[in-house]
Amino acid sequence: MSEGRLRRTPLTDRHEAAGARMADFAGWAMPLDHGSVVAEHHAVREDCGVFDLGHLGSVSVTGPEADAVVQRALTVAVDRLAQGRSQYALCLDPNAGIIDDLLVYRLPWGLWTVPNAANLEAVLAALHAAREGRDAAVVEHGERVGCLAVQGPRSAEVLAEVGLDPGDLRFGRALPLPRDVDAPAPPPEGGVLARTGYTGELGYELFVGAQRTRELWDRLLDLGVQPAGLGARDTLRLEAGLPLHGNDLSVATDPVSARLQWATRLGGGFVGEQAAARLAEEGTPRRLIGVRATGRGVPRAGCAVHQGDREVGTLTSGTMSPTLGVGIGMGYLDRDVEVGAPVTIVVRGRSVPAEVVTPPFVRREAPGASA
Amino acid sequence: MSEIPADLRYSQDHEWVRVDGDRVTVGITDYAQDALGDVVFVDLPEAGSSVQAGQAFGEVESTKSVSDLYAPVSGTVVERNASLEANPELVNSSPYVQGWLVVLEVSDASALDELLDADGYQRLLDAA
Repeated sequence: MSEGRLRRTPLTDRHEAAGARMADFAGWAMPLDHGSVVAEHHAVREDCGVFDLGHLGSVSVTGPEADAVVQRALTVAVDRLAQGRSQYALCLDPNAGIIDDLLVYRLPWGLWTVPNAANLEAVLAALHAAREGRDAAVVEHGERVGCLAVQGPRSAEVLAEVGLDPGDLRFGRALPLPRDVDAPAPPPEGGVLARTGYTGELGYELFVGAQRTRELWDRLLDLGVQPAGLGARDTLRLEAGLPLHGNDLSVATDPVSARLQWATRLGGGFVGEQAAARLAEEGTPRRLIGVRATGRGVPRAGCAVHQGDREVGTLTSGTMSPTLGVGIGMGYLDRDVEVGAPVTIVVRGRSVPAEVVTPPFVRREAPGASA
Repeated sequence: MSEIPADLRYSQDHEWVRVDGDRVTVGITDYAQDALGDVVFVDLPEAGSSVQAGQAFGEVESTKSVSDLYAPVSGTVVERNASLEANPELVNSSPYVQGWLVVLEVSDASALDELLDADGYQRLLDAA
């Protein structure tokens, strides 16, 4: 796709004007960094950062049979999804391959979900297939929706300063915006403030219309909030042990290997359920687990992992952890390679000693961080 | 606008060379460090290793990518910048001073004539 054809979020002009390093991400012109991945990473861990996530999908499922549609297309336990809550769920193919991982919210106007940009079309196809013969509507809200992720220990405070005090909103919960209307609507006409994120820190995600997105971005930057790009989003999520679809998850992986069975309650009747149940019963040869370098070197996606002379797996993500100052990674390793076992990561022909660990690599004690 | 000190020589691979008799100090340019982004890891050859002009002699990694370091001239490594092991970010903050990579003893001094001067390197960047 040529540069001129890239899709633009409500904030792309601002990133370019500020001199951000831009890249094509799933067909969108997105900022990789606003000067320094590491500085942006530390700002989120220690203070507050704001990310433009305008590339995320925004899809409402409404109508009398909306619950049945979502229960068929996604691994959500929809009967346990109360008003104002969210659930992490997967969209599976019939072989239990992971088409996408995404959050599903129940809001006053219906069910609402935010697929990854690269997987939006596939998730829409799954929802439309599940809608066949059911009384429900699937609506994509498209590029008119902006999304800001405000993340870090100061995030609640800065949101209060811009008139969006989240109060005691708990992890995983969401509020419609504005709060003082009788008929809340999905963005861009209305909006959503959710205590969710992808950094392991206290943080919030805001979904509003394009003009509101620009106004909030400007006000947050005036308050000293650090603009952050996809580079820091990746190092933060990896430290937090959160898998990334496209790296750690794909249609070639499954919920059992990815250790995401907790997000697939069997019995819901979702596409891929039989295959997922079979995998759960039979087990898988490998599972997604962490490695932490004990020697010098930076693990990367694609690096082989050895135990002695035996290749025991391959990494799907890796970086130098800005918080820990050591190399970290995630990958699919043979199940008999236990947590705590010494392994070596083959980084471009060089063996880097490492230890198998259970993510997260960085655990934060944000107040009320657990659901 | 990248800083290009007038007293240094430059390679096509965006390394700088400071000549001091038959020894040269080698680093990466301001342009190169900016293009890489935050440097988080530097792998350099030990003293006594020999390096060949145009051949990879080490690696520099940012949070997202890995780049080979190419020797601007052939020679023997006399010293490497040990402070980069703990503080690789010096390559970003001070590419021409504290962020130097290695000191080489040059095996063929005439090879230095093939490097660019500051004006030549500026033209290389302008053409990019």
